[in-house]
Amino acid sequence: MNRVLKYIYACLVVFPVIFLMAMSFAEKWRFPDFWPENWTFKNWSSSIFGQGDLLYSLIVSLGISLMLASLVCVISFFVSKEIAYSKYRKTYMKLTLIPYILSPIILAVIFQYYFAFTSLTGKILGVLIAQLFFALPFGIVIFNNFWNDKILSLEQLTFTLGATPKESLLKAVIPLSKPAIILCFFQSFLVSWFEYGLTRFIGLGKVKTLTVMVFNFINEANVFYAALACVLLVLPPIFLLYINKKALILKQ
Amino acid sequence: MVILPVSTGLIYATSYSLGLTGLMSQGFTTAYWGEALSSQDVWSSFLYSFWVGIVSVFIAACIALGLALGWQRSIQQGKLSYFIFLPLCYPATVMAFLVHQWFSPSGFFSRLFYNLGIIDNLEAFPIVIRDYYGIGIILCSIFLITPFFTILFSNIYKNERINELENLSKTLGSSVNQILRRVTLPILFNRSKTTLLLFVIFVMGSYEAPLILGRQNPQMITVAIVNKIQKFNLNDIPVGYAMSIIYVLIVIISLNFSGILKTFQNRKISNI
Repeated sequence: MNRVLKYIYACLVVFPVIFLMAMSFAEKWRFPDFWPENWTFKNWSSSIFGQGDLLYSLIVSLGISLMLASLVCVISFFVSKEIAYSKYRKTYMKLTLIPYILSPIILAVIFQYYFAFTSLTGKILGVLIAQLFFALPFGIVIFNNFWNDKILSLEQLTFTLGATPKESLLKAVIPLSKPAIILCFFQSFLVSWFEYGLTRFIGLGKVKTLTVMVFNFINEANVFYAALACVLLVLPPIFLLYINKKALILKQ
Repeated sequence: MVILPVSTGLIYATSYSLGLTGLMSQGFTTAYWGEALSSQDVWSSFLYSFWVGIVSVFIAACIALGLALGWQRSIQQGKLSYFIFLPLCYPATVMAFLVHQWFSPSGFFSRLFYNLGIIDNLEAFPIVIRDYYGIGIILCSIFLITPFFTILFSNIYKNERINELENLSKTLGSSVNQILRRVTLPILFNRSKTTLLLFVIFVMGSYEAPLILGRQNPQMITVAIVNKIQKFNLNDIPVGYAMSIIYVLIVIISLNFSGILKTFQNRKISNI
């Protein structure tokens, strides 16, 4: 019985991907038909290889997410170290958590004026900076747990043994922080990849990431293209999950 | 770098809501705040968001509890763990689109029920999308947050060695029901209450799902704020900013009162 329930659960969580894939290949699906009238490759070929609007969105989304994940990893690594060994660690962490807890769309609303003032609205750079303000606390919270007394002692030991600050960082601290860096990279990538409200508000709809395209297609009542954009949105996180989970299981 | 943009943003929003800046600025006034604070729509939006948040978290926590306790070993290792993690790959935008395609009157389940002869027309399918109680938004939130809670409960169960405590209780003569009520559930709840409360706030602040699945009245607070600020009526913009300040204040005050900021800063993020 338990085994059957597990199979049912597995089918339930896989069903969304199958449903979206099916919709992305569908054409003319009128009520009450259970199946679409036609199955076609046209949606894929025209949006990816033809007009290329979804291919462009995929590249924009990947570019923003990868850039953001890299920036968050580098900045939060050093900022979190300063916070962790500071006298006011608790106060800094409390303040760091405020943007982390607020809704991204509310942050976009209160940031909007400054982005308009600096002419960053409607630009990829503007979206990237806005997402950075929101994603950075994630990174700081993740790295905050890494900087502990053990790491501090180890760093001091490397200095005692004659290492320069650069050598200590590159040969001792960074290798030890690899799991935290990977986790921070994945989490920041997903924060950016999944983001809609802030991207739409600061990007003014001109920065056409995949999430923005899904909403555009929904507003145009083009559900088959929306499904295709959803498939493109879901596949990279599944790939990341496969790598990340496998790494974690192997580690165990 | 984190606090400066938020605080300058809040200063601008406060100035705008007090008539000190903006296109319609005519000097200091509390009229917009008065309008926001006395508006029934504003408070019904807050209450509606709270309702959606609390119901979603409660139902998701119940399902996750069943999964975590029933499949403890399979969640921690083995192939099932991939399927437990899989829903985490679905963004809110995708899940909201799916819920819309499944539960709308011309959606997948409506077609299925029609072809099975359970319903005989579109109108016979229950209204789940853009309904008064926000069932569509709640369903979407449950699909999104249940995996988080399953992993959370499973990790607490493992880290707190609840299994050993259960065995000890069994040896001392407790029944299965007593072990669940007096040992397992209290430990799980105490260790997860901070996260559960945070998720109520996260669901309250969600935007994508209410945009696709919500209705015009009542609206979730995020949609209501964005609508006010993006409306053509320029007098609505300061009211929208006042609402966003009220939202921020409510979140910060409730977090401070419940001690979440204090406890959360010391917590370790579970490695998922």
